[in-house]
Amino acid sequence: MERDTLLGLYDDMWLIRAFEQGLEREFEQGNVPGMLHTGLGQEATQAALAAHLDATDCFFPDHRCHGINALAQHRHRGDGERIMAELFGRSTGVCGGKGGSLHSADPTVGNYGDNAVEGSYMATVLGVALAAQLRGEPKVACAIIGDGTVGRGEFHESLNMAAIWKLPVLYACVNNGYAISMPVGDGHASADIIDLAKGYGFECRQVDGNDIVESHRAVGDAVAHIRAGEGPYFLELKTWRWQGIFAGEFRPAEEVKYWREEHDPILMADEVLESMGVDAAAREAIESAQRARIEEWIAFAKKSPPPDLAKATADVYVGWEVAGR
Amino acid sequence: MSRTSFTKALNDALDIGLERFPEMFLIGEDIGEMGGDFAVTRDLWAKYGADRVRDTPLSEAAIVGTCVGAAVVGMRPVAEIMFADFLGECYDQIVNNAAKLHYMFDGQFTAPLVIRTACGGGFGGGPHHSQSVEGWFLNVPGIVIVAPSNPADAKGLLLASIESDDPVLFLEHKALYRARGEVPEGHFTTPLGTAVVAREGTDITVVATMRMVAMALAAAEELEAEGISVEVVDLRTIRPYDADTVLRSVAKTGRAVVANEAPRIGGLGAELSARIHEECFSDLAAPVGRVDALDAPIPFSVPLEHEILPQPAHVTAAIRTTLEAVR
Repeated sequence: MERDTLLGLYDDMWLIRAFEQGLEREFEQGNVPGMLHTGLGQEATQAALAAHLDATDCFFPDHRCHGINALAQHRHRGDGERIMAELFGRSTGVCGGKGGSLHSADPTVGNYGDNAVEGSYMATVLGVALAAQLRGEPKVACAIIGDGTVGRGEFHESLNMAAIWKLPVLYACVNNGYAISMPVGDGHASADIIDLAKGYGFECRQVDGNDIVESHRAVGDAVAHIRAGEGPYFLELKTWRWQGIFAGEFRPAEEVKYWREEHDPILMADEVLESMGVDAAAREAIESAQRARIEEWIAFAKKSPPPDLAKATADVYVGWEVAGR
Repeated sequence: MSRTSFTKALNDALDIGLERFPEMFLIGEDIGEMGGDFAVTRDLWAKYGADRVRDTPLSEAAIVGTCVGAAVVGMRPVAEIMFADFLGECYDQIVNNAAKLHYMFDGQFTAPLVIRTACGGGFGGGPHHSQSVEGWFLNVPGIVIVAPSNPADAKGLLLASIESDDPVLFLEHKALYRARGEVPEGHFTTPLGTAVVAREGTDITVVATMRMVAMALAAAEELEAEGISVEVVDLRTIRPYDADTVLRSVAKTGRAVVANEAPRIGGLGAELSARIHEECFSDLAAPVGRVDALDAPIPFSVPLEHEILPQPAHVTAAIRTTLEAVR
């Protein structure tokens, strides 16, 4: 990988980490309503995907998706702060505050919206892909799923239908080891999701999702395969989430230590950059710049007004008005 | 105008839609060369090809999910879910995606899709091929529920559903497929969200849907001989429903019966009855009556099924009871 490419991805990973850590702080202070599922520890998977998906492609973000949402918004429209504002439930958010953490969407950057019902969009992605196929558009329709999502019946329905119709779907399975608290190997017939995907007969690959170099290359290969009209592609990115469960950390101390101190995607990228001659000071400058950016985004969200109450019943239907209180 | 079956009227609507809208396609199980379980898509596969009349495996969630995804990027998909009972398999797609995405994504997406499905009992279909499911969806903002009672409305409402930018659940009562009636030729639409007075009367209003409309009309005919004048309102769209037409009729007659084939609790009758009581209380001479199925699943054995489902005599009896009741 070229040094500049890696520096760009490193910058993106810091944007995600700073975003999630800033958000976590605000959540703990009671400034962010609802629930919080961060993508901390999974930055490389999101940066790799965002790097290869154009605004004219489509992605359905997963349950820990703030990072890729913010990255896509920042890259394609220069207004990543609107993802932050959405999480604060403000009128300036990408969905005017109606969607929040698990329903942020902006199709102009390729973000077709997350769905808090895990795996639901595994079925929806088929339609976006089918429309592209029927129209002859070179669009990639990407469903970013977690390992837990694989327990849903839509996993089978979707992979099967994508296979028989050779749809341009990229299944990016971010396997972070746990579905809520259930270890992936306890919840599925294999801890390697790729084993479950292989039966559908299309291209499957598994990579270390914390290795940004490897992940970036793998996503690039998958996207090229789909754009060439070769049909669907299943990519498993193995990673680990920093966040425990609502009750706190539940995983063995040595496991936590390994993933946070020895196999952290940013620390791994630090080592590669160091070998390329990018010193610690240069890397810290990247981190500082992203942390400063995120503070600006948080400030923007906090000073944004809440939605007009008339919006509460707006857009239920296209063809009918719904009465307010 | 020509005398046409309900099935052929639906088939004509799909044919006209496919002809007019290049972005429209049909999707479902056995709808291609086989023409669908109830022959609603007959000959369309040969005319429009397998891309636009698309057969699928038994994957209801994927069928409706495909419709949702295609609709948000500007296609106009029409799904066939063979039996309404199977909507449980794609309930999430309908309720959490199709019905909500326009709202939750702040108007950035629309979901102009239609889900056609065969509902209703009376033919020995058993517990999983006979249900009336409108109550499953009545509590879901964002979905449109269409329920025609005759061939002309079936065609006009289906074309209107195809052209609607809202997601439509289009209910086809199986007992009506063979019903025949005068249907206008060519393209026309019947507006969604509008009820129609199917028969004018002055003594009592019967608000009915689908197969219950014919029963209400027959009851009106029967009671006319006794000097009782029954007004029948065919609701046509169950959600959002045409409250104006219903309330205007009840304000005129002062008495009402709601006739629907689904079970009573939490159903259409409950909603309409409550609404009529709230808004026409001073006009009402009697409590609103309800005709519906007994509160049980639908059994296979014909006499048992007959016992569960509302029958013509129940409509007549409900009208008499409501007429005799006093405040």
